[in-house]
Amino acid sequence: MAASISGYTFSSVCYHSANTNSDHEGFLLGEVRQEETLSISDSHIGSSEFVSVIEVHNHEPCAQLFSFYDYAGNVNEENLNRILKDRRKNVIGWYRFRRNTQQQMSFREQVIHKQLTNILGIPDLVFLLFSFISTANSSTHALEYVLFRPNRNYNQRISLSIPNLGNTSQQEYKVSSVPNTSKNYAGVIKEHGNEFFDKDGVMKDIRAIFQVYSALQERVQAVCCEVDQSERVREKIQEEVNKLKEEIALRKRNRAEEERRLQEAAAVPLPDNSALPDSSQSSPTQVVLSGPSVEPSVERPVNSSSPPIYSTTLPPDSPSAILLPRPQAVGSPGHPSPSLGLGNGDGSSSDSLNRQATGQEDGDDEDSSEYENLVSEQLQPPSLTETVTLGRPATLWPDGDAHSPPGS
Amino acid sequence: MNSLSPEVALSRISPELRPLLCSVVRNGRIGLDSSSCLRITDLKSGCTSLMPGPCCDRFKLHIPYAGETLKWDIIFNAKEPELPPDFIFGEDADFLPEPSELPHLVSWDAGKPECLLQLVKELLQQYHQYQCQRLRDSSRLLFEYDSLLNDPNYGRSMEIYAGLKNSWTGEFSARFLLKLPVDFNNIPIYLLKDTALDPGEDVALLSVSFEDAEATQVFPKLYLSPSIEHALGGSSALHIPAFPSGGCLIDYVPQVCQLLTNKVQYVIQGYHKRREYIAAFLSHFGMGVVEYDAVGFTKLTLLLMWKDFCFLVHVDLPLYFPRDQPTLTFQSIYHFTSSGQLYSQVQKSYPYSPRWDGNEMAKRAKAYFKSFIPQFQEGAFANGKL
Repeated sequence: MAASISGYTFSSVCYHSANTNSDHEGFLLGEVRQEETLSISDSHIGSSEFVSVIEVHNHEPCAQLFSFYDYAGNVNEENLNRILKDRRKNVIGWYRFRRNTQQQMSFREQVIHKQLTNILGIPDLVFLLFSFISTANSSTHALEYVLFRPNRNYNQRISLSIPNLGNTSQQEYKVSSVPNTSKNYAGVIKEHGNEFFDKDGVMKDIRAIFQVYSALQERVQAVCCEVDQSERVREKIQEEVNKLKEEIALRKRNRAEEERRLQEAAAVPLPDNSALPDSSQSSPTQVVLSGPSVEPSVERPVNSSSPPIYSTTLPPDSPSAILLPRPQAVGSPGHPSPSLGLGNGDGSSSDSLNRQATGQEDGDDEDSSEYENLVSEQLQPPSLTETVTLGRPATLWPDGDAHSPPGS
Repeated sequence: MNSLSPEVALSRISPELRPLLCSVVRNGRIGLDSSSCLRITDLKSGCTSLMPGPCCDRFKLHIPYAGETLKWDIIFNAKEPELPPDFIFGEDADFLPEPSELPHLVSWDAGKPECLLQLVKELLQQYHQYQCQRLRDSSRLLFEYDSLLNDPNYGRSMEIYAGLKNSWTGEFSARFLLKLPVDFNNIPIYLLKDTALDPGEDVALLSVSFEDAEATQVFPKLYLSPSIEHALGGSSALHIPAFPSGGCLIDYVPQVCQLLTNKVQYVIQGYHKRREYIAAFLSHFGMGVVEYDAVGFTKLTLLLMWKDFCFLVHVDLPLYFPRDQPTLTFQSIYHFTSSGQLYSQVQKSYPYSPRWDGNEMAKRAKAYFKSFIPQFQEGAFANGKL
């Protein structure tokens, strides 16, 4: 439980009390409200705490001692009502001021408190005790105050806070929730309020801000829809792109497979020369192959800028002539670069074969040179494969001898 | 916190409240230990500091109770002196007396000086009930209380303080203060008058402290009025037995009471016996009596002559005569010791019986003198100088 008292009420009580030449008492008016605090932290999901807050708004001083009770402490309800009048329902406690005494409820105060609790029907009736202590030479005076809730068995003292009684430069200046019961204030607000408040009593600025906020919310919602749609379109397009890529990859794999088979078939020795196809009649790829026909797509386009394919008919009695590399000048576009991959080690290069078959111009030269290199690999021992990749391949001079390029 | 003397307290109190306080500080003896007066401290005022004095109207009253001292705040209002006071019962925050059972509060009359004192007595009665209620936390101690309550000798003169609870260990302890029903009226006056302080009422209080609820640690202590203690021979003369293990108060208290009574009887009896003894010596020795203690009958001096040899005999009667034998001191009137004192010899063992009456003692003493004097004379001549 917490309690607060407004600064003006507190000072008013002190003023009344300090100006009496004896003990002084009265009633506290206000309200009790419940506050729920929800706290979420990493250690636990959440917890809620209920706190009763007592707010003292006003006070009703008694004109004299024993004004509503007798010597034995018996409360007279009639006198009580005469003092409180219609404010009885606002009573939340009572107070007492006594000089130079202990901060402890006295015998009579406890007796009266019990009776007030029953008569007023307030289970948590509080008691505020003021003690005024002065030093012997009257140089220092201290006003002490303690708020009790005597009807509890434990935690009988409650801390009483006075909003804004402190260093407000370091603390936040708090607006009290105490309702203003001043008639003058109500009149002024009524007279000038139309400039600031609308018909419902809400400040106009607040409503305007709320409208801006609502408009922003609508726009955000619209943008969300647009983003959603564009995302869906993008997703669809992405799917199509992926599909096309898969098709391309599949086609490439098939062509590579095809060319590999052609290569393997060409590597098998032929039974007679008559089986050798006429080089002038076959496509370049068919020079070294016999047997299965080559796919039409394998044919080279006519307008290819690739270097002419060497189509010299080789002597039939020279089986190795089948695998002779095609002549290619140094520096030609089809000249293989050292960094080109030369296949799978067995002399075949599916990529180069496929590219060549489809008639790709840019890669053709390189691919053809790869083909050449592959063929040369088959002739050379495996240990020379790396050497070929690093240096320029041997070029075939017109005299048919293979010479290493200068500097290799 | 220094207590104020009654005069100082009365001078600072508001004039309208002075009669009430006067009754407290001068006649305020309440409780069993009525030898201790009520004390006043922390005299303060409820008026503004601008109020000219004397205007004190609130103070702390110290009340002896069951071996403790209760410190109650009493709050008046100097500006409204006709109103009854309010009280703060110090550490006993749970003590809440029933106002309807305080007649002097309900019918408070500021015009009656003893009103405050009577109100304090009524509050103390309720405080006693409150403490007895607290004994219910311990069945053992409650039994002790109930058994004493039923005994008319002790039930009405008992104070209990049951507030000594150790909050750490949860141990409960209590103290019983009992007024022992011993009659001190017959103690000779001379034994009671030699005290520096005003003794007040002669009283013997037995304090029994139970340090635990099961009564395994029990510490008794006997408190006597200063005059009684002096009359019985000082604090060393009287030792009470230890509380028996497993014993209870209803057996122990009468035991202590009987012991004290016996002591008092000894003292009284001794006085009368001494008086009888002196009277008998006066009768037997007549003109030979030089002087004697006519109040306490503790001393007697005789001047005797045997074969022209004169000598003095000083008789000292102890407190517990006739149980304890009188001391005889023979003194020569002629001979001096080297230190300039008259030559003397002390005799503590001579034929004696406590069952003899005074007359018989005087006869036997005379016979002893006759038998001892020749020996004493020889000694005086031999060891003393004229």
